Amino acid sequence: MEGFLGGLAILVDPWVMFMVFLGTVLGIFVGALPGISGSTTIALMLPMTIAMGPIPAICFLGAIYCAANFGGSITAIMVNAPGDPSASATALEGYKMAEKGQAGLALGMSAVSSAIGGIFSIFVLIIAAPLLARAAYSFGPPEYFALAVFGLSMCAAIGGDSAVKNLIAAALGVLIATVGMDLTTGVERFAFGIDELADGIKFVPVLIGLFAVGEMLDQVVRRAEKAKIIAMDAARVPGMAEFRKCNRSIWIGSGIGTFIGALPALGATTAALIGYNETRRWSKHKEEFGKGSIEGVAGPEAANNAAVGGSMVPTLALGIPGSATTAIILAALIVQGVRPGPHLFTEQPTLLYAVFASMLAANLFYLALGLYMAKFFARISLVPPAILWPFVFVLSIIGAYGPDQSMGDVVIMLVAGVVGFLFRRTGFSPAPLIMGLVLGGKMEETLKQSLIIFGDDVSMFATRPIAMALLSITAIGLFWPLIARFWRMLGVQR
Amino acid sequence: MTFMLKRRTLARLGFGAGAVLAAPGLARAQGGFPERVVEVVTHAGVGGGTDITARMMMVQAPSEFKQEFVVVNRTAGSGAQALQYLASKPADGHTIILVTQTHLLTQIRNRNVPQFSELVPLVRATDDPQLVLVRRESPFRTAADLVAAGKQRSLRFGGTHVGGVDHIAIFSFGRAAGMQQPTLVPFRGGGEIVINLVGGNTDSALVNPAEAEAQLRSGEVRPLLALSEKRLAGFPDLPTAKEAGIDCVASTVRGFCVLRGTPEDRVARLEQGLLRAMSGPIFKTYLENTGQSPDSVVGRAAWGAQLQAFHESGREALQALGLLR
Repeated sequence: MEGFLGGLAILVDPWVMFMVFLGTVLGIFVGALPGISGSTTIALMLPMTIAMGPIPAICFLGAIYCAANFGGSITAIMVNAPGDPSASATALEGYKMAEKGQAGLALGMSAVSSAIGGIFSIFVLIIAAPLLARAAYSFGPPEYFALAVFGLSMCAAIGGDSAVKNLIAAALGVLIATVGMDLTTGVERFAFGIDELADGIKFVPVLIGLFAVGEMLDQVVRRAEKAKIIAMDAARVPGMAEFRKCNRSIWIGSGIGTFIGALPALGATTAALIGYNETRRWSKHKEEFGKGSIEGVAGPEAANNAAVGGSMVPTLALGIPGSATTAIILAALIVQGVRPGPHLFTEQPTLLYAVFASMLAANLFYLALGLYMAKFFARISLVPPAILWPFVFVLSIIGAYGPDQSMGDVVIMLVAGVVGFLFRRTGFSPAPLIMGLVLGGKMEETLKQSLIIFGDDVSMFATRPIAMALLSITAIGLFWPLIARFWRMLGVQR
Repeated sequence: MTFMLKRRTLARLGFGAGAVLAAPGLARAQGGFPERVVEVVTHAGVGGGTDITARMMMVQAPSEFKQEFVVVNRTAGSGAQALQYLASKPADGHTIILVTQTHLLTQIRNRNVPQFSELVPLVRATDDPQLVLVRRESPFRTAADLVAAGKQRSLRFGGTHVGGVDHIAIFSFGRAAGMQQPTLVPFRGGGEIVINLVGGNTDSALVNPAEAEAQLRSGEVRPLLALSEKRLAGFPDLPTAKEAGIDCVASTVRGFCVLRGTPEDRVARLEQGLLRAMSGPIFKTYLENTGQSPDSVVGRAAWGAQLQAFHESGREALQALGLLR
């Protein structure tokens, strides 16, 4: 209790609050720019925080982390360029909304659902972190494999014109995921002796290309059409009616995001994609998905921000980071002489609650900033395409080059852009491709790891209850239409 | 910003002109080395453990050399691109590379990258010995239990990818102990290795103490052996493998090298300066907080010998594993 109050005391410490505010503004900014991710920023800021002392340093870095995840949604919605890979699911519906002139609605909903997801996960962290951390130990390769199958099982339903096209796109994504060094054989696949391909194809250039450059090329082709100037409705922010509609999506996203974030091997991007799937599955307005569904923004945004709090669970309670960003935050903690682990909760509760309190504050800051600035950002959609898109193109190139300072990534981005353009012209959607890319690689890797652990005996999966439960849910989900029809037939006969 | 860019361009132009004019001109300017920004190229992405080592070193290096230091991340090809970047720059000491065992394995497996003989060692920055760990409930109470079981069946060890540094260490350990060749269960990084050890998916693992800090403290994993020359300060009761009659040492090392052909006085200047920079309080605290010994930092003689030894044992292990064509 003393630790709890001591931690909350930072909320009235002007210096710490200033650092949190600074971190939030910086986080939104770098999050919104494709290519400068929260993790890069935190790594670059790390040496500067050494002199600050543990609490301001961690609060500052934590605030960047929280806000960057939200910031990614701004460019995803406005120009279809996810500022952060975790915002790619947001781009699917958010950009469609912006095209319909509902940019303000999408941005506002993104801010609100992000904040709710983030705050929800922080409360879970406060109450159940040590408990939830135990779950990480029960998740080995077989369980991750089952989870990846669950996530991929929805890929036929989301995105393009038809299930067949979605499956083709998903298969292409899985194929791309196989490029590079195979963990279990140490052999490079489909690398053709090119160093840039030896480590596999990274998400960021593919995402930027598929979404932003693909859209730009599409705009070029449509240039002949008269540009429609959308009325000022663009600046409208969501009201009670929208919240009521998205209520369910936000909670689904928050729950899924917190759980997936807490699993060390999966991160915000997976959380957002599965959050998107499940939002759609449980939505009453399925027909709106793919055409700019506000629920499709709320669900994944809640999920990827909840994953932030979730990913702090293994980082703080086990000393094992759940993402690239938390790996650097962990390094920052260690450099400050803080030893994460189960004992952190008993030995240094003040510091722990200070971290929670600062993340809470960061979420509230970006909620306020996000809602306030939504009207301002929404006006980007009023910029004439001839000015906007060349600018986006420059941003895309910087974004692909930035993370690894690699021209190879720029080439990959451009190729992905052409693919994205062809997809748009032929009724394919990038959504299943991304699911295949993100989850397919994970699925293959964990299956191989499982088989090594099981001594190549597939039947050993039956000895893993969590994996079997997940596979069963997947099977029920896949065969539900058949089961439902069978049920109705029985009913008719009776 | 513009000003800085200009200055940098000018410096580069100035250097080019100097090189063209005459080599003796350079020699006269020797007192001023380094005369421009020193680049530190690493194969780690921003924020990786190796990248952080470079940045921690750089906190005090600028005041030591009166020059700026920048990190260049060239991540592709497990060190291949970092080595190529180094080779693309003049051998004048203004580009140094952060080398790990990974680079040596890449060199052995890929003849197209600058080879080991092209590198001149400067200093070692970190030397992080590995521990042989088992989980709390494991039937193996001592190293002898583990070895005895390993003679009956192939034990599952968690490590990084096949043909990587961990794989070599696990292979060497198994051979030195006379065990059946262990089965490597490959994971992405230390965190996953530790989690799967605690979760019971592997029998054992070789892990740096810092990677399993929390689990060691809470007793969820038990160390059986330290794969170091001497007993570790943090584990005074833990025997080394050599004490147990297993001739095997394994540690994660990181250090700096320059390209062959760099003038000797510059190599000496870099060695001495980096040694001093990394003896400062910030790097010391960093080593301490990550559970590494302050005598990690050594000069080129010891660092070079260690690299040479790993270069030979790595090649041999890759050959024995059938991973070398």
